[in-house]
Amino acid sequence: MALLEVKALNAGYGRFHILFDLDFKVEKQEILIIVGPNGSGKSTTLKAIFGIAKVYSGNIIYNEKDITRLPPHAKARIGLAYLPQTDNVFAELTVEENLRMAGYTLPPALVEERVEKVLESFPFLKSKLKDKAKSLSGGQRQLLAMAMTLIREPDLIMFDEPTAGLAPIAAKEVVEKIIWLRDELGKTIILVEQNAKLGLEIGDNALLLVSGRIAFYGKAQELLENKDLGRLYLGLAK
Amino acid sequence: MEFLIFSDTWLILLIAYIITTISLNLEAGYTGIPNFGKAVFVFMGAWAAQGIGIRLAAWIVEKQDPALAQEALEFLKNHLGQDYPSLVAAAADTDANRIVANQYIYPFLQDHPMIVAMLFIAIVLIAVGLAAIMGLIASYAALRLREEYLAILLLSFSELMVMVIFRQTESLNGGPKGLWAVKFAADNRVFAIIFGLVVVVLVYLYAEKLAHSPMGRAMRAVRDDEIAAGVYGRDVAGIRLKVIIVSSIIASLAGLVYIEANLAAQSLSFDRVYWTFFPWAFLILGGMANNKGAVLGVIVFMVLRRMIDYGLPQLAAGHSALIQMAAAYLSNILVGIIILLVLYFRPQGILPEKPSKTLDFGEILKQEEA
Amino acid sequence: MVEIIPSGVFLMSAIAYAAALGLLSMGLSLTYVTTRVANFAHATIGMLGAIVMLFLIDRVYYEGASYQLFIVGPLLSFVVAGVFAMIMYLLVMKPLQDKGNDVIGLMIATFAIDIILLNILSFLLNAMTGKHLPKLYGVNIGPWDPTIQCCGLELKASNFVLPIAAVLLTLIFHLFLTKTKFGVAMRATIENPNLAAVMGVNTNLVYTVSWFVSGALAGVAGSLIAFSLKDTSPNSSALIIVSVFAGSIVGGLTSIYWGLVGGFIVGLAEKLLTSIINALYNGYFAPALGLPEIAIINYEKVMSLGLVIIVLLFAPQGLAGVDWSKLKQKILRR
Ligand SMILES: Nc1ncnc2c1ncn2[C@@H]1O[C@H](COP(=O)(O)OP(=O)(O)OP(=O)(O)O)[C@@H](O)[C@H]1O
Ligand SMILES: [Mg+2]
Repeated sequence: MALLEVKALNAGYGRFHILFDLDFKVEKQEILIIVGPNGSGKSTTLKAIFGIAKVYSGNIIYNEKDITRLPPHAKARIGLAYLPQTDNVFAELTVEENLRMAGYTLPPALVEERVEKVLESFPFLKSKLKDKAKSLSGGQRQLLAMAMTLIREPDLIMFDEPTAGLAPIAAKEVVEKIIWLRDELGKTIILVEQNAKLGLEIGDNALLLVSGRIAFYGKAQELLENKDLGRLYLGLAK
Repeated sequence: MEFLIFSDTWLILLIAYIITTISLNLEAGYTGIPNFGKAVFVFMGAWAAQGIGIRLAAWIVEKQDPALAQEALEFLKNHLGQDYPSLVAAAADTDANRIVANQYIYPFLQDHPMIVAMLFIAIVLIAVGLAAIMGLIASYAALRLREEYLAILLLSFSELMVMVIFRQTESLNGGPKGLWAVKFAADNRVFAIIFGLVVVVLVYLYAEKLAHSPMGRAMRAVRDDEIAAGVYGRDVAGIRLKVIIVSSIIASLAGLVYIEANLAAQSLSFDRVYWTFFPWAFLILGGMANNKGAVLGVIVFMVLRRMIDYGLPQLAAGHSALIQMAAAYLSNILVGIIILLVLYFRPQGILPEKPSKTLDFGEILKQEEA
Repeated sequence: MVEIIPSGVFLMSAIAYAAALGLLSMGLSLTYVTTRVANFAHATIGMLGAIVMLFLIDRVYYEGASYQLFIVGPLLSFVVAGVFAMIMYLLVMKPLQDKGNDVIGLMIATFAIDIILLNILSFLLNAMTGKHLPKLYGVNIGPWDPTIQCCGLELKASNFVLPIAAVLLTLIFHLFLTKTKFGVAMRATIENPNLAAVMGVNTNLVYTVSWFVSGALAGVAGSLIAFSLKDTSPNSSALIIVSVFAGSIVGGLTSIYWGLVGGFIVGLAEKLLTSIINALYNGYFAPALGLPEIAIINYEKVMSLGLVIIVLLFAPQGLAGVDWSKLKQKILRR
């Protein structure tokens, strides 16, 4: 049984229609990679699933429940998480306040515990708890955002280009963390990845978006080997 | 249908509002400049005929007919016990203004049609000049501020000018009471209606021509995307400046029409409700960036309001004093409610902007080159 | 000899007025930073507080001055004005926003609400009869403001209570924003509503609460400034709103704390600066230079606009946009 199912999704911003008739599924403990050229609607897809972009028609089914019209804050309570591509931490709040915000839906006692736990995985944050998030470097901010996403221990996590702007080593670390999330913690993941090759190598299934429509949907490996699509849209030409 | 009887007062207000709303449409509708200080620009036209015009007329009387001026000063001395140095000073004084205007200046002007004609031209020019200066001041802010800041600043500016500076300073326009304005014809109401209609027609034709000219397209480009308009070589600042000055001038003519019909009006009459909020209400009701819509908005609204103003007291007649009083307040309340309903159900107004006109910049450029 | 330095009593009334403007500007900035609504009805909502006071005096505290009035009144005004603002948001502003109205459309809507509220209040006050007061419209409630002996001065109770109320409310609101979960969520929502929603914050609830707080602060300010107004007719809001907007713009419109500071500065400038300039001009310059006397005191609102213009010229983002640490460095290096 698929954890998330998107049916005939049309979405956009106000009168800007961006996504057209998207259909796809994400099985439990799967990594779905979304790739595509800039502006093709990758971020919009994640936003539409979370209810931040406007859904004109279609359905979003999560755990067999139709959550299309559920407001974003309610989606956060049923196990969805989303790490936005930009502005993904509260710059004016301290690191500690950011982490607490991330546990907004949890009971207070549990928040303490989870913050402790997350600090174990991201030790550099410990010394910065009282600093405003805007004082962090770009990479540190990305890691803070990652930490925030994990605090709630969600079932389905949507990452929007979590490696963008990171040094190769840091990027690799992030990707390893994502694989670890699936393999060790059994999380389900949708990953939008700029580096198509890197993404497709770790992904189970892949979705190629072009101008808001699905150009390919199937095994990630298959897309990686598809020379035409790869060359046309993903810069994978040898 | 008794409540469909429309008075000349109503007609004049309608005309003045149409002029004001067309002017606001050029700024807010076509160019995206949220002028929330419309009242002060309208007021400039009134001031040209009141505080400034009446002085000018008194000065002319002094020059042309010193005997009459002397007679007037003597009369004032006997009746008010006041010694005025000149007729100009007397005309601008709150106590003597009414007597000087009605007993001396108006009869004198009636006998000298040539002088009236010249005075009329002079006052129109003064109104235009004052409005242009005000527009220049406003544009200084309009070129620099984000829309909500601009709206607030212009609103404050207008309120302060009208409610504080002009109200508190007797020498400018007679303080709270306001001075009597120059009268150009024996029947000033008929004159105001004819003058107003001429202005309406000219302004409407001008606004329509402007809207369909390259300048009109440039205005919309500035409104829709200032940065892109700049990138495509539009002189964004220049366009805004021109629009504000032209609109201010047009608005001042509305004030001139209004004051000619009423001759005396307090500065307070030019407050934010009647000369800023109402024109905005008309524009929203009729449809932004559409001159026909602007005119239609005024007409629909004014007819509705007339029906409310006329109908409610009739319904209330014979009822208790309380209900009659409620009717008076209800009229304004209904205006507020209508605006909210329009914003909710038809934010684009009765006649929306024609969509075909908002081309993207590439197309606009191509069209212009062709 | 003309007094240039204002008397202690006058100074206190100026501080009280400034505190009221501070509260009003803070509330105005609050609904702006949360919901992008520049609320023209804000001062009239504040006048609800004045009307609460009027009714309390008429129904309960008619017999002579009572200190109880200065506790019950502001508290009741807090609730009444807060609830009104909240309803205004839920019933009008939010539906209009959901329909896609822009900043300007929303401003017009608040204009409309202002007119509706003003007329309803004026009608009710005219139509109702007082229990003790002969009429309810246009009453001066100054006589119910007891005099307090303090620091060798005879201070009006309202002038004394207002600054205290302003400090207390600001402190409580600050603690709420920094120490409570919902307060932090409010700050998070102000900064990035989408991200806050992703974290599970019900941003609508945040907006509703911010409208309540905004109205409540205005209500308290209105209830206490009412004693210094010529009368408590709702129309008194017409000129107050200009000063409130001036305060928020001086503060920058983007920060609630700077809104408070902006309102306070504008209030002080209107009262103190005007009175000092008035004394200087009419006491020294005019007689010395043979110029006519001008009642500069009547032009206090010019100060607020002047201040707005100066601030916008030098700091278009208001005081909130000034880089204070950099400014300090600059000054200290000289
Ligand atoms: N808030 C918005 N309002 C209107 N249009 C938007 C908005 N955000 C994005 N768009 C438009 O939607 C389209 C898709 O944007 P989206 O951010 O989903 O692309 P993307 O595939 O994530 O691109 P990238 O690789 O650059 O992140 C673009 O044309 C963009 O201009
Ligand atoms: Mg993206």
